[in-house]
Amino acid sequence: MKLSINGVSKLYGRSVWGLRGLSLDLGPGVLGLLGPNGAGKSTLMRILATVTRPTQGNVSWSGTDILREPDAVRAVLGYLPQDFGIYPHLNAIEFLQYLAAVKGLDTKSARKRIDELLVMVNLSDVRKRPLGGYSGGMKQRLGIAQALLNDPQLLIVDEPTAGLDPEERVRFRSFLSELSGDRIILLSTHIVSDVEAVATDIAIVANGQLLAHAAPEQLLHSVEGKTWEWTLTSAELPAAKQRFLVSSTARRAEGVQIRVVADAQPAPSALAAAPTLEDAYLACLAAHRAGVTA
Amino acid sequence: MSAGQTQIIYQLARADFLERVRRYSFLVTLAFTLYLGYLGATGRILLNLGDYQGSHNAAYIGGFMAYVTAIFLSLAGFYIVKNAIERDRQTRVGQILAASPMTRISYCTGKFLSNLGVLLAMVGVLAIAAIVMYAIVGDGSGFSLFPLLTPFLFLTLPAMALVAALALLFETIPALRRGFGNVVYFFLYNGLLSLGIVQFVTSTPHPFLDWTGGFTLDASMAAAAKAQFPGAVVNSFSLTIGKLDNVAPHVFHWNGFQWTAEILMSRLFWFGVAIGVTMFAATLFDRFDPARGRPQLAAFQANGASEMAVTNTRAPAETFSAARLAKATTRFRFGSMFTAEFQLMLKGQHWWWYVVALGLLIAETATPLPAARSQILIFAWIWPVLLWSAMGTREARWETAPLVFSSARSLSRQLPAAWLAGVAVALLTGSGYGIRLVFASDERGLFAWLVGALFIPSLALAMGVWSGSSKLFEIIYLLLWYIGPLHAVRQFDFMGVSPGAAAAGTAYYFLAAAVMLFVAAFAGRRRQLQN
Repeated sequence: MKLSINGVSKLYGRSVWGLRGLSLDLGPGVLGLLGPNGAGKSTLMRILATVTRPTQGNVSWSGTDILREPDAVRAVLGYLPQDFGIYPHLNAIEFLQYLAAVKGLDTKSARKRIDELLVMVNLSDVRKRPLGGYSGGMKQRLGIAQALLNDPQLLIVDEPTAGLDPEERVRFRSFLSELSGDRIILLSTHIVSDVEAVATDIAIVANGQLLAHAAPEQLLHSVEGKTWEWTLTSAELPAAKQRFLVSSTARRAEGVQIRVVADAQPAPSALAAAPTLEDAYLACLAAHRAGVTA
Repeated sequence: MSAGQTQIIYQLARADFLERVRRYSFLVTLAFTLYLGYLGATGRILLNLGDYQGSHNAAYIGGFMAYVTAIFLSLAGFYIVKNAIERDRQTRVGQILAASPMTRISYCTGKFLSNLGVLLAMVGVLAIAAIVMYAIVGDGSGFSLFPLLTPFLFLTLPAMALVAALALLFETIPALRRGFGNVVYFFLYNGLLSLGIVQFVTSTPHPFLDWTGGFTLDASMAAAAKAQFPGAVVNSFSLTIGKLDNVAPHVFHWNGFQWTAEILMSRLFWFGVAIGVTMFAATLFDRFDPARGRPQLAAFQANGASEMAVTNTRAPAETFSAARLAKATTRFRFGSMFTAEFQLMLKGQHWWWYVVALGLLIAETATPLPAARSQILIFAWIWPVLLWSAMGTREARWETAPLVFSSARSLSRQLPAAWLAGVAVALLTGSGYGIRLVFASDERGLFAWLVGALFIPSLALAMGVWSGSSKLFEIIYLLLWYIGPLHAVRQFDFMGVSPGAAAAGTAYYFLAAAVMLFVAAFAGRRRQLQN
């Protein structure tokens, strides 16, 4: 089981590149795809889900070119798009039964799985209510259920926790971890804590390019000894933000606690702090921007 | 009205107009309008008053083209502009507008002006075509802009204003917002056009009943013809599509309208009706409040964030456990796919829809066979028009395309199942008549009936897949149905119910068309999947 992405580019219109020569090799586990808005994450997801075709490059699933034979991956694919619709007159069971038929699942086994999935995404008590009345979070949970209908070997989830409340988010993350053992999961998000919780690998994308692809530990190692914290006054904060790469600030009784990523100690009172994935992500983006500017 | 509200109306109309004319679909619309202009300019559309035809001077060309424009755009234009509020609903811009100081009247006036702007852009194209027409087929009697353009201004403009207002009104009434409204308008259009027939019955002009100005034009031209050919019997007024050499035997000269106060007042009256309809629409406009209208759909359109949204109160499952999930077994069965598509097609229909369908089915079996053929089946196969018009468009309309199209072999599995579900609806709703034909051993009739059942969903699927909207099928099917089965024009009778249609073998042509349309639908869906 291997997903290979080779030099994939996507051109929108005549001059806007959504992706530029992106290459990745993926095996079982959870790949957290991080990047700012407009980085190309959703474009990559749509290409891998065979919903759109790249302008250049190719993608193969276990050796089969999915641009030529998209059904090779569609048969084992679970896909939760960032934006998707539902049929408002159907209820949850009918909607999932419809998609089970589209995915070619055996009716009997699908029925049982649908019941269980609805319990898992906590929609079983509203399973017979028309979807037109569902809230955004409920619709998102239904989307998660449909992505898991066919027990996919390749699960692509684009911003899956958008609209979920904190409790549901935590439960979804632990479920993803549990699933990840024997399948490839691509989790696209700009919420670093989601990735931190479940990803076995992380890819950072910006401006359609792959900036980094590494294990979380390696990314954390890249900012080891470069994360600092200290407290300053509110008046000093704007100047500090100008000078340093600030990853977070927090109000304290004695002032504002600031956290920055810097090669050298930024202030005499700054103390080294344990790096987080957010620090590593911001440092990676800042390095890319500096490179682009230079 | 305050300066602030005037500014709001202007900006609303401007933004809506620009958003529309920058869409690809507007270019397609303009292309069709240009084609219509081409037909007129090259003399392929003719206006005849029985055996009399006007000389192609500037006034005649202006009147003729203004009339063609009014007739064509009063029907097609409605469907083109009936999406002003819907677009704000779909793009969710409406939610932002609803939270602004904009009043209902300002919003509806802005949308009315935008509708009118789009229609006038097309009228403008056809007015230019009229000038070109004079250059090509004019009688050389001297070009004059005033008599050529005034019919556009006084005849076509008020007609377009009413179309713009009616489109807006239909959008503010939940029941008429979608396909049902499209069907209703088709009959309303015919009804409004027929109002002017009173003129023929009473032999007196009734410009206030003449929405498009056609009967006013007829009265003026007929008077000119009678003046030049004393004793002439001018009792018909028709537009025909034909060739330039297909001219009437007698040519008369018409020098344009005498714009009498009565005519001008009647045209102003229709403009006033349009304003009144717009104001009425403003009172019905829900201001994007999901609490008004159909609750389930309204809540959905509000992106679920409404007080009507379903809430689940049960405590969440303890943990998500992948280990507890039943295994998913892949074993595609076309029967399951067909059942799912059939269920999806029928879902959301009101109980009375089934009652009427059942009533028509009983009537098919209970009435004498000729009546079942010439009357009942025709209505039995117009009743499910909205079920068919959704074919091929659901994935775009409800944004489920990423879910459906990323499934394996959706082209060879889902599309034929959707088509077959449409065929099943046709067979079921027309089954009473079909069974009668079997018992009557009417093989030709049965064949034509079967072809009809294949043709309708093929047309629906192809139109839906290629246009992404249900409107195109609704318009084309209604026109075909109106001309063919209802008015017994054999060449358009896809049901084989007009006298002699089954014997004439028209069904073979429709069978070929059904096959081609299905192939077109298949190719269109393949294109969607590849892009």
